[in-house]
Amino acid sequence: METLRMLLSGFSVALQPANLLACLIGVVAGTLVGALPGLGPSTGVAVLLPLTFGMNPVTAIVMLAGIYYGAMYGGAIASILINTPGDAAAVMTCLDGYPLAQKGQAGAALGMASFSSFIGGTISVVIFTFLAPALAQATLWFGPPEYFALMVMGLSTVSGLTGKSPFKGIASMLIGLALSCVGTDLVTGLPRFCFGRPELYSGVEFITVALGLFGIAELISLAASETPQLRRTEVRLNFRNLLPNREDWAASWPHILRGTGIGFFIGMLPGAGGTIASFISYSAAKRLSRHPEKFGEGAIEGVAAPESANNAASVGAFVPLLALGVPGSATTAVLMGALMMYNLRPGPLIFERNPQFVWGLVSSMYVGNVMLMLLVLLFIPLFVRVLDIPTHTLVGWVIAFILAGSFGLNNSLFDAGMTVAFGFLGYLMKRLEYPAAPLVLALVLGNMMENSLRQSLLLSHGSLAIFFTRPLSLVILLIAAAAVLVPVVRSLTRAKPALQQ
Amino acid sequence: MRKALGLLLVVVLGLGVFGCSKPAGQATEGEKPAAPKYPEKPITFLVPFSAGGGSDIMARAIAGVMQKEGILPQPLVVENKPGGSGSIGYSYVAGKVGDPYIISTVSSSFWTTPLAGNSPVSYKDFTPVAALAMDPFLLMVKEDSPYKTLDDLIKAAKAKPEGLAVGGTSGLSDDRVCTALLEKQAGVKFNFVPFEGGGDAMTALLGGHVQLCWASPGEALNQLEAKKARPLAVSTEERLAKLPDVPTFKELGYDQVVFYQFRGIVAPKNIPEEALKVLEEAFKKLSESPAWEKEYLEPNMVTARYLPAKEFGDAIIKQNELYTQIFKDLGLLK
Repeated sequence: METLRMLLSGFSVALQPANLLACLIGVVAGTLVGALPGLGPSTGVAVLLPLTFGMNPVTAIVMLAGIYYGAMYGGAIASILINTPGDAAAVMTCLDGYPLAQKGQAGAALGMASFSSFIGGTISVVIFTFLAPALAQATLWFGPPEYFALMVMGLSTVSGLTGKSPFKGIASMLIGLALSCVGTDLVTGLPRFCFGRPELYSGVEFITVALGLFGIAELISLAASETPQLRRTEVRLNFRNLLPNREDWAASWPHILRGTGIGFFIGMLPGAGGTIASFISYSAAKRLSRHPEKFGEGAIEGVAAPESANNAASVGAFVPLLALGVPGSATTAVLMGALMMYNLRPGPLIFERNPQFVWGLVSSMYVGNVMLMLLVLLFIPLFVRVLDIPTHTLVGWVIAFILAGSFGLNNSLFDAGMTVAFGFLGYLMKRLEYPAAPLVLALVLGNMMENSLRQSLLLSHGSLAIFFTRPLSLVILLIAAAAVLVPVVRSLTRAKPALQQ
Repeated sequence: MRKALGLLLVVVLGLGVFGCSKPAGQATEGEKPAAPKYPEKPITFLVPFSAGGGSDIMARAIAGVMQKEGILPQPLVVENKPGGSGSIGYSYVAGKVGDPYIISTVSSSFWTTPLAGNSPVSYKDFTPVAALAMDPFLLMVKEDSPYKTLDDLIKAAKAKPEGLAVGGTSGLSDDRVCTALLEKQAGVKFNFVPFEGGGDAMTALLGGHVQLCWASPGEALNQLEAKKARPLAVSTEERLAKLPDVPTFKELGYDQVVFYQFRGIVAPKNIPEEALKVLEEAFKKLSESPAWEKEYLEPNMVTARYLPAKEFGDAIIKQNELYTQIFKDLGLLK
């Protein structure tokens, strides 16, 4: 096995002390930037890049890649403990992670987040090891019409995110779509719905909205409740009880595996990435679960599904970067710049020209994922103690964290103001029982959906047939239609006998 | 109290600078012995885009080389102020009239964002310091494309108006300018399809969703070596050293298709004459240093093009006229 031999030689590179240390530094830094709201992996990589000058290129990239996938582990921590997504890909982890923490199961949630990240990450590295060049070719089948179909499929999962009333879910989605129209027009380059504010030219920043709708809204309702107290662990739990138990595992397994597949696949597609992957994985998990009603109330599989997906996506993103020489996300674009700085030009040839580098990097991802899992597990008891902080103190700290994070995105007070405004909107929606997740999902997908729609129509000179004459796009659209129609039909056929009686 | 402390600090720092500077430096300041030599504190190097983009990479490389080579006695501190396609950062810098302790990077948004609309400042609100590099553009086709030369392509485009799709960056972009220049002189019409980034356009080309796309030299070389895509022509005056087999549009008879993105440095308006001189001199030294060549130009496949302040100023005006004209022709601007 040629690949295995290469992989082994890669491990001999990755296990050198300097590279092990670089990997450790990278994953620790990644966990931190992931856990802090506002600081995302792309900023983390860009800021730490100058520190790697003068290092051996493999060592440098091992460290930078560690920051990237390490952030996926870190993002879950803030989501679970304080309902504040540490980065964009961790938004879905809030939905069940935080309710679990409120039930006193923060340890299990963090443990499951860490295990499912590990499994998602590791399986993805295995897929990468054996299939990267072939898969890279497959991503090229996705042109604008296929992207549009994929975004439609993403939106069709909204029905899986709605609470009791589908209409409220759809209303929330429509608000998100409307917000996604704000910003510079793709074709003309002119600002739309910006009201003369340059801060809005690049659109409504997704993470500022998510920080408000989830983080601030939670704090407001906490303050408004009659007993302003986070429910926390009443019994001092020992380390073993902090970990997910056998039932948790049984419930989560299929979702972890599915999440990994979804995550890796979506991560490979340029532009989509971990955020969209975690949304789709969560919605699919809820839809296919035997207990969909438990989702949103603290279902452990609601943590496992998005966390396995976002980690798998971060590995998938390396496929187009290394095998095609095209970066698929902001973070991989920065990594590509770093590679060029070391005279390593990504592209199909890098596998032949710099095998030591490629396989060293791949092996370091195996090692890094193990490190991350152990790291997070070891520190769970410490993280959980955050919840022992008296509520009045914690709320202040959390507000400071959220606002600093939102300001830090662009060094802009405007963004911090937006977060506060969306916090109030989120509180209002919560009181009126409008789910927040569809809004956030639509905001993420809306922009890409509009762009790919317009690109497709430019390509077809205005004919909608382009979506139905291309087999791949047609198949995806049919799946989307089925996702919407099947539950409707099912509920109708089920309702009939009830009416007849 | 605080003021007094600050004053003390300035005096101490000033003394420090004097203490370190060479005797020759002191001699030239004979007329105004009290004025401390510029720069006496770190200079903010504001990047109006987020960390990791093209401008940011250049700024961080400049700061690194300046420090390593000891070109300026004080460090350049890179700060990102992204948003509004550059207008937020540029407005911030322009607002610091007369302050020589802040400089900023120039890339195409420096011109196109003010042209697009709501930016309160334009090139007129800055002092040009130096141009450092230029990014040319290459027209790419997929490896198995039937078009072997630019001529083949133009013939096909004439036979089928708007039949060939060109992928390029969105909005008032350089890719659109290049497309327009070629369309105009060749008398053809392409179907321009905008993408969010150059990488997306290249993926669409490799997947066969568009027939052409614009690429930077680095991207072009990558794909050429991998035998996935080929450049047909480049938008420079002369052939690129790294890609000697790629003809220029000019030599193929399209002398109007000469276009590149300037990368340079600007400061706020009305900065002291001496400060401008120090900065200009520093960037000249930078552009001549081997470390600059090795750490920025080469890995990023950027073509060096140093212009001193005065000439860069003229180039800025010319570039603005060019952009305005083309976007008006395209009907994107009124």
